[in-house]
Amino acid sequence: MASAALRSQVAAKWQEGFARLNRTEPGISGLISFSQAWNIAADYLHPRDITDPLSAKAHGTADMALVKAAFDMINRSRRLPVMLETFLDSICNQYYLIARDIHRYLAQYEQSADIGVMFRLIYRLVDWYRAWAPIEELGPTIRAAYTLTFQTQLFSILPPGFVRGFKALCVSTLVPVVQISPFIWDAFETLGLTDRYEGLIASVGYERIEAYVHETCTAKWDEPCLERLRHWMSTQIVPWMLPMYAKGALNTEEARGMLQNVGSRFDFHMNKTLCDLRTSEIFDIIIDFPDSMGALYDLKECLQRVDQRSSLVQALRKANRKRLLHPGADTKLILSQYVATIKCLRIIDPPGVLLFKVADPIRRYLRERPDTIRSIVANLVGDDDSGDSLVDENEPIQPLQQLETEDYNDPNWDPEPIDAGPDFRTNKPSDVISTLVSIYDSKDLFVKELQVLLAQRLLAITDDNSEKVEKERRNIEILKIRFGEAALQVCEVMLKDMTDSKRIDGHVQSQKASIVHPTIISRHFWPSLESSDIVMPGQFQALQTEYAKEFSTFKPDKKLRWLPHLGTVHLELQLEDRTIEMDVPPLEAAFIELFSAKNVWTMDELISGVGGVDRVAALKALLTWVDLGVLKEDVENTFRLLEVQEEAAPPPRSAPAAAEEPTVTAAQQQQADQMRLYWKFIEGMLTNLGALPLDRIQTMLRFAPGYDQTVEQLAGFMEAARREGLVVGRDGTWKLNR
Amino acid sequence: MKVTVKHWHAVAQWRWDTGAAEPEGGDADNEDVCGICRVPYEGCCPSCKIPGDDCPLIWGECTHVFHMHCLLKWIGTPASKQQCPMDRRTWVTAERKIGNS
Repeated sequence: MASAALRSQVAAKWQEGFARLNRTEPGISGLISFSQAWNIAADYLHPRDITDPLSAKAHGTADMALVKAAFDMINRSRRLPVMLETFLDSICNQYYLIARDIHRYLAQYEQSADIGVMFRLIYRLVDWYRAWAPIEELGPTIRAAYTLTFQTQLFSILPPGFVRGFKALCVSTLVPVVQISPFIWDAFETLGLTDRYEGLIASVGYERIEAYVHETCTAKWDEPCLERLRHWMSTQIVPWMLPMYAKGALNTEEARGMLQNVGSRFDFHMNKTLCDLRTSEIFDIIIDFPDSMGALYDLKECLQRVDQRSSLVQALRKANRKRLLHPGADTKLILSQYVATIKCLRIIDPPGVLLFKVADPIRRYLRERPDTIRSIVANLVGDDDSGDSLVDENEPIQPLQQLETEDYNDPNWDPEPIDAGPDFRTNKPSDVISTLVSIYDSKDLFVKELQVLLAQRLLAITDDNSEKVEKERRNIEILKIRFGEAALQVCEVMLKDMTDSKRIDGHVQSQKASIVHPTIISRHFWPSLESSDIVMPGQFQALQTEYAKEFSTFKPDKKLRWLPHLGTVHLELQLEDRTIEMDVPPLEAAFIELFSAKNVWTMDELISGVGGVDRVAALKALLTWVDLGVLKEDVENTFRLLEVQEEAAPPPRSAPAAAEEPTVTAAQQQQADQMRLYWKFIEGMLTNLGALPLDRIQTMLRFAPGYDQTVEQLAGFMEAARREGLVVGRDGTWKLNR
Repeated sequence: MKVTVKHWHAVAQWRWDTGAAEPEGGDADNEDVCGICRVPYEGCCPSCKIPGDDCPLIWGECTHVFHMHCLLKWIGTPASKQQCPMDRRTWVTAERKIGNS
């Protein structure tokens, strides 16, 4: 039931529509011409199959003037939007043509993996795009709408396989295996692929950088790579990026501006890759130091751009734990690696935060090793046979530095770096030795060990070797600078004993020539030497007495006490068929002297003949002679002198593998000895006071002169005493066992 | 067989000949110390650094023996009244004739 009003409204609408289409032409001729124009235009715009030559031809031969006129008319009738809609619809309908094409190409690509196929596919798509494009005169809006529709359709039908192919194509643009036209980028742009696959294209760049860095920098540590990599970036990667990121740049200035952002991303990625690489190699870089300076400088620079410090610390700590801090590693090795670590990390990070974090586990581990001090000291005095000293000779010798509190008046003071831990101590560039010595809380341990080592070395010096003594003296002088004059006073006395001995010997020899040339030592200034009960037999005894007498004549208020187990004897054995001349330790000499009186001895006779000696040591000494073919063990524990060499000399029986026993007791042993001294005090107080708790004993022992043991050491000692059955411990108190 | 010693590099310790009988076995703990500084004779007095001839001993008529420097310092103090610190007899330095006599 349309009302009159509605009816008139519809009529008005109709009239208006008709007028628009008919354009004031007489009758309906305008309408007819419009529909003709519409048909021409629609036919022109209809998306054709470009594989079909006929339709392509039809399209190509269309009268452009006519088409333009047709569009003009439609535009005038304001029917263009409708036309566009129809056009876009028909694109969607016709898109199966393109999809068919894409599938064909991709199938071909999958089969041949030939980049050329992908390349052709891209151009084919561009052809489709061009073929379907509306004419320019329709203005940019229509064109934009077309492009959008085309691309949307395209992306919606691209199968997953395309991405793979596309990536390969991008890679090939970077590493030109086959010459690819630079216009490919225009094609990408036309199809909208650059925007859509921006991430993918960038990842191609990243991967290329990673691959290049790994390929050219792995295990190349001798010179910095960063500079070279930057150059490579600017000659290889930047030109590649230009068409994509700097399209439309008119001059280089503009291009640079456009590239700045993405360029710094790539640069960052390069730094990060190199940093990761170096981080994974850091342990070996440190081993190679100082031949790996280049890598260290690279790392330093990278770390300033990339925040990877914590991962570097992690990696190095992990590598240290795995490769260094285990029982299989030699202490000397750990020390030298530690020193190298110090030097390396000081280059990477001068404030020392990294070093502090990495060094901590190493130091803790070294503190637990029993021979750390010995190794350090051996290195200090240049005991190393290998020759690679931990200490750099060029490094100025300076006194040990104590950890100092921060000096806030220092004009160059810097705050602690932000990643420094709460217990970080500013490690002002101190020298390596100071750092090593600071592993332990006190340097006394070092001095003691040094003394022991010096004693060993000095006693090993046979006379007329004064330049060796001079060398030791020089060493000590150097060490004095480090440890201070007072600490090494004892060593000074030891050296003086050496020269004094020589002087005294010179005098004694001038009075009465003797083949004995003793080293006379001041007993309180040498580390405790193993005592021994050997009494030198026969002519040795005579030689000793004679020399001692001569000595007392020279120094009337002094006497000599021999330490018969130390030193060396050079002797000559005249046997019936041969003479043997050699250097032997005194015990060996003593035994062979006994054999000059009698040809067959039993072990027990021999031992009592030299006044009591450890059985193992005796056997070792005897075996030396057996090996030389001088003695023979006929029956067990019975030795016979071989006046005539036996035909088949038995294969040298290697002496029981007892390593060369140190003639000087190590610091640890000394400590036990020292403790034994205090046993008298303990015994006394336990006798007088009955059972005592450990703390009480410790407190009382503190009154004893020179007592410096800790409660733990005392506890260890008491435990040892309990094992020997001297004391019993009950409820935390100790009393004498009787 | 004949054993000929060509050269013997021996090691010995020196001791002051204090006239006291050499303690057999030479135990480290019961050796003689200077009555003033309580340092063994073979060590050196607190003001010295080198033992031996640089820090000699001094013998008294009273048979007491001290580090020379220790005793001289003691004698130098008015409180000493020139007496031996051990027995309070007047200190008389003995002629050295013990030992080799």
